[in-house]
Amino acid sequence: MRNASLPAKRLYWGTPLQRNLLGIAVVLLALVAWELVARAKSSIYIPPVSTIATTFVHEWFSPQFREHAIPSLMRMLAGYAIASLLGVALGVLIGAYRPLFRLLDPFLQFLRAIPPSAIIPVGILLIGIGDAMKIVVIAFGALWPILVNAADGARNVPRERLDTARIFGVGKTDQLLSVTFPSALPGIFAGLRTGLSIAFIMIVVSEMIGSTNGLGYYILQSQRSFAIPEMYGGIVLLAILGYTLNAAFLAVEHRVLAWHHGQSARPV
Amino acid sequence: MQRIFPPGLLFIVGVTVLVEILARLGLLSSYFPPPSAILAALAQGLANGEITSQVGMTLSTFAEGLVLASVLAIVIGVLMGAIPIVYDALKTIVELLRPIPSVAMIPLAILFLGLGSPMRVAVIAYASFWPLLISTLYGVRAVDPVALDTARNFGVPPAEALYRVTLPAALVSIATGLRVSATIALVVTVTTELVAGNSGLGFYVSQMEQASRLPSMYAGILFTGVLGYLINLIFFTLEHKIVFWSPAARGAVQ
Repeated sequence: MRNASLPAKRLYWGTPLQRNLLGIAVVLLALVAWELVARAKSSIYIPPVSTIATTFVHEWFSPQFREHAIPSLMRMLAGYAIASLLGVALGVLIGAYRPLFRLLDPFLQFLRAIPPSAIIPVGILLIGIGDAMKIVVIAFGALWPILVNAADGARNVPRERLDTARIFGVGKTDQLLSVTFPSALPGIFAGLRTGLSIAFIMIVVSEMIGSTNGLGYYILQSQRSFAIPEMYGGIVLLAILGYTLNAAFLAVEHRVLAWHHGQSARPV
Repeated sequence: MQRIFPPGLLFIVGVTVLVEILARLGLLSSYFPPPSAILAALAQGLANGEITSQVGMTLSTFAEGLVLASVLAIVIGVLMGAIPIVYDALKTIVELLRPIPSVAMIPLAILFLGLGSPMRVAVIAYASFWPLLISTLYGVRAVDPVALDTARNFGVPPAEALYRVTLPAALVSIATGLRVSATIALVVTVTTELVAGNSGLGFYVSQMEQASRLPSMYAGILFTGVLGYLINLIFFTLEHKIVFWSPAARGAVQ
């Protein structure tokens, strides 16, 4: 029995507003401290927050955005889309047929274990340093977690669901599409989430190694030419993009998996 | 992670033999050397220390970064999880820093720490800090309140309750976080070596690419894969050993 007479004091203090304000206050305090330290030390490595902010506005509310941010995003989305389509389709198929899964699993586990950035040199060798290389490398990195998770999801479909479908005379293909695939969705989304963060990392790395534009190139180049506020501004932009992508992903996941969250015992 | 089933092993051998035959027949681009050449390069690199010394470098950087991240993440995670005011004070800053892709920190780290191994350790620690922090935090917050109330009713002081009730209960979640962090740490180790390294496996791979020593390059990549597989296996086993009593580890629940 939950102890109703004892309020859950351990978990709460103050009103929700006060609790959120505290978090924001700490961030503001940290920024003010940064500003003061930076002004006091006047080191070029630590520019004041205000300088970073003005540089950020100046750099990114300008055609720069189209030159560096848009190519990064397009490459990333292209690579991620390829990885998602291939990963989900192959993963569900592999997971649905047990013998196929047994055959391929060790091979896939090994491919997944390769740190994806290690294949960038291969990509450069085979396709040069253009867009295609980056898209391939991103797709390669994001593919394995998506594929392996989709396969696991399809493999662990509750038996009674498949049995029920069979009893009702649902054909093999229909079982795959209307029972296995939806049941594997929670696993698929877990893989897609990992894949997204890997794709994001891979775009930055591939642009640092072989590129003439894009955010990875921009940040590294800013550092090398001692354009330090620009470097910080680039990192801030990456943080904003990362945050937005993640929020968009969670919104989609929440919608698609609404049925699943309702079904599972504890909220995720 | 599954055991290596014999058919799976056969498949790997089969693919290797197939690629070998295709390469020998000249049906593959010259960018794909036959697997036998890659294995020979691997054996040679291991024997003459060319790869071995780089592996040592990679592993020590990896370990330093992961240990640093683990200590920080577990301490801060437990504090945030156990003390509401700490959680509320830090949550916004965590939410703001977490989405920054770790590799974006490489230029910043180079600026402050140069190109050597401290820079790599810092980036690795930054990258592997977040998953462990979040899972520690959730593990501590998800501790059954009844268990804590029981401890309090029996007169257990809060500090001891933290050690005897909260930590063991949160261990399941911490162990999972540690495994995720270890995987990320290895990826970031190789990445930093590739982008801004002067040693390590990632550096070796890019050196071999530039020297057009393709079998050695593939041997290096193969070895990072082996390393990744082993690290995952070790932490997976560790996870199941540490929390042998949890239903998930016993295989009762997926």
